[in-house]
Amino acid sequence: MRCLLLSSCLLLLFSCKTAYKELQPANGDIAALEKLRPNFTSALYKAEINVTGHYLSGLLLIKKLPDNSTRFLFSNELGLKFFDLEFNKDDQFKAHYVIKQMNKGPVIKTLKKDLELIMLNTKTTGVPYLRKDANSLYHIFPKVKGTYCYITDMEQKKLEAMEIASPRKPIVHAIMKNYTNGIPDTIGITHKNFNFTIGLKKLERKIDAAE
Amino acid sequence: MRKLFLILVTFFTIQLANAQPSGYQAVKDLPKFKEQFSTVAKKTETIKSDFTQEKNLSMLSEKITSKGKFWFKKNNLLRMEYNKPFEYLVVLNNGNMYVKDKQKESKISTKSNKLFQQVNKITIDCVQGTIFDNKDFVTKVYENKSSYAIELSPTGKGLKELFSSINVVVDKAAYAVNSIEMVEPSGDNTLISFTNKEINTPIPDALFTIK
Repeated sequence: MRCLLLSSCLLLLFSCKTAYKELQPANGDIAALEKLRPNFTSALYKAEINVTGHYLSGLLLIKKLPDNSTRFLFSNELGLKFFDLEFNKDDQFKAHYVIKQMNKGPVIKTLKKDLELIMLNTKTTGVPYLRKDANSLYHIFPKVKGTYCYITDMEQKKLEAMEIASPRKPIVHAIMKNYTNGIPDTIGITHKNFNFTIGLKKLERKIDAAE
Repeated sequence: MRKLFLILVTFFTIQLANAQPSGYQAVKDLPKFKEQFSTVAKKTETIKSDFTQEKNLSMLSEKITSKGKFWFKKNNLLRMEYNKPFEYLVVLNNGNMYVKDKQKESKISTKSNKLFQQVNKITIDCVQGTIFDNKDFVTKVYENKSSYAIELSPTGKGLKELFSSINVVVDKAAYAVNSIEMVEPSGDNTLISFTNKEINTPIPDALFTIK
């Protein structure tokens, strides 16, 4: 019985270790991450989504409205709308429209978390903290479920990657790169616990000017 | 007060009942229009044109514009090649749909997918002139000096969730389709306008081949 209790305690202790436990404590200004927050005034992306072997392509419009809410509208190339999601100025989430085939709790919850991650929504339920390894600084924000982590260079000038982690390991890995006026040209999101990837490439919208 | 309410309700009911496209009035000789539309459509073996697709997002005050080439050949062969601001190809060939973007190509059987089946049917019906035989819609026809406007209201629940109406504008002189507008219940719409139309020019079958 004593043995069982000891094993249970060890198991509990082991399961409580965080995904970023191996990193070293670091000093610095965690609020400096703000400078790397994307400014999605209005951007149109060609979107490619792979979900458990199913491929879906379309256009994702990200737009900030005058009331400071941000909308994510995804449609296929022929104009059929798949979803229209909103984060208001207080980061509250609302699904304005989701096509019947996608209108399922886990799908919407996953999309919400992924979009929160790339918007650098750093509202946290615990105390955020910094960690480092040899090359990078880790900005860690505990949330109700999981931890959001933003990895930058040591100077906090370049966002190298973003992650959502379970208590034990990162489960979502994302990148944003090649910014112009605060809008990234390329966004990639990969889920590690199931086969789900999102790839976004910014489109040039002034098509007549290119003619 | 109750009287005022009644007057207002009656007024708006009449307005709704008489709702018609701006600048149009109900067609004077509907049987004649149907007959001529059908006669011209019967003589139409092929259509080749450029198209501009505008997705209007009313709440976001945004318009997503794309352009490309359109080919139609009797019976049931259709190809839409988007080339700006992205590359995307759709081929409809007797109940099968082939789509290709830069990353992936896929073949979809419209027979096993009700949505694609409907989109397939509407597009073919519009360019083939058989739209009045489609039992999935109630049709109304309006006219002005230069064109006819065919308003298609879906009857089934599935289609009603996607479209509140589909409006087709037909050129009065040539009885050729100028534009197809798909209006969503949210008020957003997708307008496809056809320009540089060439009727009955030879189009090789190979353009519609599904690999």
